Amino acid sequence: MDCYSFDKVLSDYIDSTLSVKQRQEANEHIAACPGCREKLADMVNMLNCIRSLPSCSARPGFEARLMAKIAREKHKKEAPFANMLREYSRVISVAAAVMLLFATSLFIYTSVVLPGHSATPPAAEIRSIDAGPVNPVAQRPDMSVSGTEKNLPDSSKAERPNYNRRIMMVNE
Amino acid sequence: MNTEKIKYTDEELVARFQKGDERAYIELVKRYKDRLLNFVYRYLNSYEQAEDVVQDTLMKLYTSAHMYREIAKFSTWIFTIAANLAKSELRRIKRRRVVSIHDLGYDDKEYEIPSEVYSPEKETTSSYGEKQIQQAIDTLPDQFKTVIILREVQQLSYEEISQILGVSIGTVKSRINRGRLRLQKLLKELKEQ
Repeated sequence: MDCYSFDKVLSDYIDSTLSVKQRQEANEHIAACPGCREKLADMVNMLNCIRSLPSCSARPGFEARLMAKIAREKHKKEAPFANMLREYSRVISVAAAVMLLFATSLFIYTSVVLPGHSATPPAAEIRSIDAGPVNPVAQRPDMSVSGTEKNLPDSSKAERPNYNRRIMMVNE
Repeated sequence: MNTEKIKYTDEELVARFQKGDERAYIELVKRYKDRLLNFVYRYLNSYEQAEDVVQDTLMKLYTSAHMYREIAKFSTWIFTIAANLAKSELRRIKRRRVVSIHDLGYDDKEYEIPSEVYSPEKETTSSYGEKQIQQAIDTLPDQFKTVIILREVQQLSYEEISQILGVSIGTVKSRINRGRLRLQKLLKELKEQ
């Protein structure tokens, strides 16, 4: 066995995991090589030093801190909705603001831009569904008497007699 | 109460905890906190961070105990978790060091060994001080560092180390041998400085 081969089996030699033959060869090499003998002695000494290093232990209150940490994690898992709200609060507020803006715009549009538009259809229209297709203009009950009829397109004016007849039929 | 502690093996305690017995968990914490802390402390060389990692390891035991199967020893399982978390923590620390290293001059590096390390009592029993050894361990590449700590500090068997690291026993033996030789060389260099 040469120095290079001894280096390779040094750990096994210390841990006594070499075969009988290998151990014998290693012993013969150590006896003949002062350098490897010194290396072996130094290695054994180093390992003893490492094994005798002081071991550290946990500070008092370790378990209490750990259990508190676990309780916090548990709480996080038990209230996922509340946590989600907290986590995404900014996104939720932006979404709410956008929705509010949209609702306000819609309200302004329906009440200012379409002043004659009513949200609830008149009873007359509901009942006229059975009577067949109805002209959308018929949804305005005061259409025939109000001044807005001047603004109606020609096609709407042409259909007006039909509309009046339907109203009368429904009222009967 | 004491007889109960002696009666159960680690594996039995995990089984009890899996069934909902929190006292079994507390017992496991008591058994392992110091062993884990010792391992992680030698790996990170920082007590505060080591304690955090051990707390995370034991918290993982609490939340993932159902994942433990009795095909492996409990000690190997918990050390595997601790080793992985310690590795991630060390990577994080190294990243932070890279950022702050530019602020350090040569004078900031502390290689001086305090005199108390070479106290007469220690000189008779050992020629290497704790700080020297820790410094040399810190310098080792990760693959050698882990096996050296598991073998020399924790005194685990080759088989246990191979299970923790998920490598063959042959690889463990080779890494231990190379790690020891590297450590010896590093300590020699530190001694000569």
